[in-house]
This record gives sequence, structure tokens and C-alpha cells, in this order.
Amino acid sequence: MTAQITAAILGVLLAGSILYLVRRDHLHGPYALWWLVVAVATLVLGVVPRSIDWLARLTGIAYPPVFPIIVGLSLILLRLLQLDIQRSRQERHLRRLTQKLAILEEELSLLRRLQSGPPVRPSATPAEKKPDTVN
Amino acid sequence: MATVVRGIVRALGCDVLVVNDASTDATAGIAQEAGARVIVLPLRLGAWGAAQAGLRYAVRNGYDLAITLDADGQHHPEELPALIAAHDAAGAAVTIGACPARLSQAKRIAWSYFRLLTGLTVTDFTSGLRVYDRRAIRALASRQASLLDYQDIGVLMLLRNKGLPIHEAPTAMSPRAAGASRVFSSWLTVFHYMVATTVLCIARVGGPVRAAAGGKA
Repeated sequence: MTAQITAAILGVLLAGSILYLVRRDHLHGPYALWWLVVAVATLVLGVVPRSIDWLARLTGIAYPPVFPIIVGLSLILLRLLQLDIQRSRQERHLRRLTQKLAILEEELSLLRRLQSGPPVRPSATPAEKKPDTVN
Repeated sequence: MATVVRGIVRALGCDVLVVNDASTDATAGIAQEAGARVIVLPLRLGAWGAAQAGLRYAVRNGYDLAITLDADGQHHPEELPALIAAHDAAGAAVTIGACPARLSQAKRIAWSYFRLLTGLTVTDFTSGLRVYDRRAIRALASRQASLLDYQDIGVLMLLRNKGLPIHEAPTAMSPRAAGASRVFSSWLTVFHYMVATTVLCIARVGGPVRAAAGGKA
């Protein structure tokens, strides 16, 4: 019976802290939903360990204790994959925003100079550009 | 730096843009003094991120031709008119200023490996001296090109997959006056570069993939 109490305590603690974080707005939008599902799952599996045996029988897993391990690991892997996809997207956004910011900044300072003084210099047709790879 | 900027102005009489990749030394000021426009990236984006910033500047300001060259003095501004002539004659979207003589044995082996892998017939993959026309500028300023890291094979494969012709013209180069190659500085980075580029090649084989969706930065 003690094992069941341990499992229940762990489940309740995890679910509780996730719920707390979601309520405090520390988790945003879709992540909150994901973690709420995780919270409910740990709560159910922790409080009613019999459900694991039932699920294992349902999925044809001969040794029920590995069921939560298999499911948990797969979900973690999927989540990691999704995280990296998101990180790549954010990296793309960050790079483009950085470039745009630099371009707009130059434009702004050019406009300021034109406004306050005589024209700086006329522009020719073909462009020349050189990324500074020294630094 | 000032010599390079003044050399370009003397050779072509065109606008010069220097991209400062988040460095805080006096280089930007010196370049400005020499008559270049300078854009300063607030975060360090690396070689390609800086080059792409320049290409996006070219798109925004409607330039028809963009030349990229390294600011460390290894590319000679006085070679540029000949390079542009070669570019026009070939009708290519991009012309690489190649200097096969400067390649080390290790680089030669690496490049023939990448030629085999990509099917590109380029001898000098990493040359930073390139002429891009309007089509190439548009293609490379796109979001699709934003996750590349170097101005080399990934860039060329993107252009190739869009059906843009790539040309190479021989040119003279000198050893770097300052700084060292980013890629070929230590065996660990070489290994990292080889693996990353191989993955990129394999991922891009077989033509364009739908670009990731998302808002415009």
C-alpha cells in the first residue's frame, strides 16, 4: 500500500505544481493545455495505479510497469522535437528582425542627417555591399 | 577597412555598404569616414546573417546588382570591373570570384567531396567575393535563406534549386590581411562544418521544399 501512497503523492504534487504555474500565467497558451493534460494523467495514474494494469492489458504490453515509461519517453521525445522546430522558427524570426532593425536604423539616421543638414551624398545606381567578416 | 572602401569607390563609383556584425570597435566609424554606409546589427548573426542583411538592404533600396566582398583586404577592389564584366557576359544570377590557387590540400579534398554530394560544379565554394543580380538578391533575401550560416554551399544550392544560373570567374586574391578563416580555424570547427554542410546537402537534395510558414519579420 505504501507504494500506492508514494505514487499518489508524486502525482498530486506534479499536477498541483503544474496547475499552480498555469494559473499564475507562467505557462502560455498551447503549453498550458499540454501541461494540464500531463497533470491530469499523472494524477489519475498516481491515485489509481490499477489503471496502468488496465491500459497495459488494453495495449498488449505484458509487463504493465513499463507502460508509463514507454508512453512518457515517447511523449518527451515528441515534445523535444516540437521544441526544436519552434526554436528554429524563433531563430529565423530573430535573425530577420535583427537585420530589419539595423536597416531601419541606418535609414533613420540618414533621414535625420538629410533633415538637419545639406544632402550627405548622391547615390549611384549599382549597389556595392560588403559584409564585414573581420570581426 | 578604409582602403577597401575607397578602393571600391575608386573602381566602380557605386554605393558601398558595410555590415557591422555587432562589433564594438572603431571599424564602423572608419568605414563611414571613408564614404561607406554602415548598418550595425544589434545581435551577432555570423557571416551569412550579415551578408543577408546587406542583401535585404539592396532589396529595400532597389539595387540591381550587389557585390559581396570581405572587408579584411583579401579581395581586390580593382578586380571588380572585370568580375562584373564576366558576370554580364555569362548572364548568370550569381558570379563567384574564385581563386583556386589559394586552396589548401585539405580544402581541395573537402570541395571535391561537396561537388560530388551537391552536383554543383564550383571550384571555390567559400569565396566571399560574389556578384548577385536582382533575381539572386530576391531569392537570398527571402525567409527561406535566413537559417543558413555561411555564404557558401547552402546559398548556392538555394539558387540552383530556384533554377538560377551560377557562374564562376577566376580572380586574384591575397592572403587575409587581418583575421583568420572562420571555418578553417581548428579541426573541431572543420569537423562541425563538414557535418553541418553534409546534413544541409542531404536535406536539400531533390529540389525545393515548401518553406516554413510564418509572419514576416
